[in-house]
Amino acid sequence: MSIALQDDMFTRDVIADPYSYYGRLRDADPVHWNEKYELWVVTRHDDLVWLTRHHELFSSAVFKNDPRLPYPAIDESDLGLYEYVRNYQGDQFIQHDRPDHLEMRKVVHGYFTPKSLEEWRPFVQKAVKHLLDAAEEKGRMDVMRDLATPLPVLVIAEMMGVPEPDRPYIRELAEKLLYIGRGEYDRMTPLTEGMKGMIEYVSPLVDERIANPGDDFISVLASGEKQGVFTRHQVLVNTSLLLLAGHETTINLLCNGTLAFIQHPDQWAKLKKDPAGAARLATEECLRYDSPVKSIQRIASQDVEMRDKVLKKNDRVRWFISSANRDPDMFDQPNRFDITRWPNQHVAFGSGIHHCLGATLARVEGQEVFKALAERFPGFRLDNEALEYQPSITFRSLKSLPIHWH
Amino acid sequence: MARNLRVRVDHTVCVGNAMCETFAPNVFRLNDNRQSEAVNPAGDSEEKILEAAENCPVSAITVEDADTGEQLFP
Repeated sequence: MSIALQDDMFTRDVIADPYSYYGRLRDADPVHWNEKYELWVVTRHDDLVWLTRHHELFSSAVFKNDPRLPYPAIDESDLGLYEYVRNYQGDQFIQHDRPDHLEMRKVVHGYFTPKSLEEWRPFVQKAVKHLLDAAEEKGRMDVMRDLATPLPVLVIAEMMGVPEPDRPYIRELAEKLLYIGRGEYDRMTPLTEGMKGMIEYVSPLVDERIANPGDDFISVLASGEKQGVFTRHQVLVNTSLLLLAGHETTINLLCNGTLAFIQHPDQWAKLKKDPAGAARLATEECLRYDSPVKSIQRIASQDVEMRDKVLKKNDRVRWFISSANRDPDMFDQPNRFDITRWPNQHVAFGSGIHHCLGATLARVEGQEVFKALAERFPGFRLDNEALEYQPSITFRSLKSLPIHWH
Repeated sequence: MARNLRVRVDHTVCVGNAMCETFAPNVFRLNDNRQSEAVNPAGDSEEKILEAAENCPVSAITVEDADTGEQLFP
């Protein structure tokens, strides 16, 4: 069955409310061919889990293996810049398949285990307290600017040993890198500026850690070069990948979660009754209900049958976390925000061998923020009911979230 | 002699990251759903099994002494 609705994922309506559009696809045509952008749109929870766990059928080397031009279209004169983007993205470890992916992941995996990250919890708590002290004095805050952005930047920069005065510059570069999931016709210019800026910024840091390794995360990546797993370009690209991935998604978790609590006073009341006890499951529900990442792409490695469709080798396949996490076949009352939901088998971090490396870090930051908000504030109101989202197909990112309390 | 271990994988949280299979390949194997199963708790050393459990990104693995019931991980 094909769908005759306006089939564009970048319209204002779909960006503002992805749940209606992808929900309709999930019900009517769960493995859907989008003619406009020439890609498969996969929206059911069980299909997403199956697809991500069959990594041998769906390549993650999307930039290397996709011979087509980027979508939406870019200016022809920017195709040279797109080649730069392809080479840069292609060197990220997440853009590799097995066996290379396993060797690369093994270099960094140990740094991100639940046990290692538990040691970072006191640092996160202190940082949250510090940021909320400052906000409390003012009586209002933009959750994005005053809490959700500085916290993860602080944490990832500390892990990487990035000097404090450089952190605003890192954030500036990160904002340019976010053009990767967007549709602007002229997006290649800011995107490549962000990439080149990152390489330039991290180069001397990597040189230094290769010469004098410490226990910071750049030293871990640099050890991959010594082992012969990474080239120097790969170390540079992956340092900037983790600098970006370590904060952008967490910003969305903190903003979208806070917004969900504002929109559901009954659940806020429940969190307030026992902040320390409720924060863990509440964070899982925030991850499910308004997921930080909306979709991720693969390339079919061979012809694959899914439901009644045949995905041809080299076809683009995009799987939608936003709709899978609202799938009624998986979740009871999926559109309800319920912070006691358990089990909660959401796919906010994907699944399979590429399951998000930083998942535990995001969880720790979410838990500590939601707990602290509930302990310290009676309740929040939006300054402005109109919310605006970044026009990205990849990230569910608010542009700002100004609030006050009463 | 090595002690007998009881190794369990919680399938409500296992995401099939397969790191356990990398650390203790004779103990853990992915099933048809691509979730991990402890098929042979005596297949690898206790050290390797505990390393696999510690490296599970979603803490799905528990390890016990099968005779005394003492929990060894987490």
